[in-house]
Amino acid sequence: MIGGELIIDLLLGCGAVMTAVLCLTAKDLFQAILLFISMGLLVTLAWVRLGAWDVAIAEAAIGAGLTGALLIATRRQLNQ
Amino acid sequence: MTQALAYSVFGIILFGIGLFGVLAIAHVVKKILAINICGVGVFMVFIANASTGASPDFVPHAMVLTGIVVAVAGTALALSLVCRINALEKQKDDV
Repeated sequence: MIGGELIIDLLLGCGAVMTAVLCLTAKDLFQAILLFISMGLLVTLAWVRLGAWDVAIAEAAIGAGLTGALLIATRRQLNQ
Repeated sequence: MTQALAYSVFGIILFGIGLFGVLAIAHVVKKILAINICGVGVFMVFIANASTGASPDFVPHAMVLTGIVVAVAGTALALSLVCRINALEKQKDDV
């Protein structure tokens, strides 16, 4: 049987997979970058659920934040 | 179906999506995004397997922390190469 706790895990996992697919199929580059950042934040929540607090903080700050900033800066430079 | 098994399956699915993206997408920045999605899938399998048992195993956590930092460094290198290639192509068009 699927318990109440596991439903949260399944929703988080499905959300991460869906945002990954949408990120790679998006037409606009800016949209793809925003979907990539939101996937990073969903994965952060998944790692809090798994008890990995240190990894969750690093992913939110470095994986989603810093990588997102780098990608947006690159997009700006490519559009000039 | 346990929590660790569910997240392992999602990690493998994310790795597959990223691998498909690397092979199928022509746009270079989106290829870099796909490589990052691959990495997230690998990290998810690691953390899911570390969470089984009474208390979490911290060796995979340390490895994943290192992996996140290395992934950001690799992404920054790849993006700077993309910018350089773009600048050189613009220069070639001008001449």
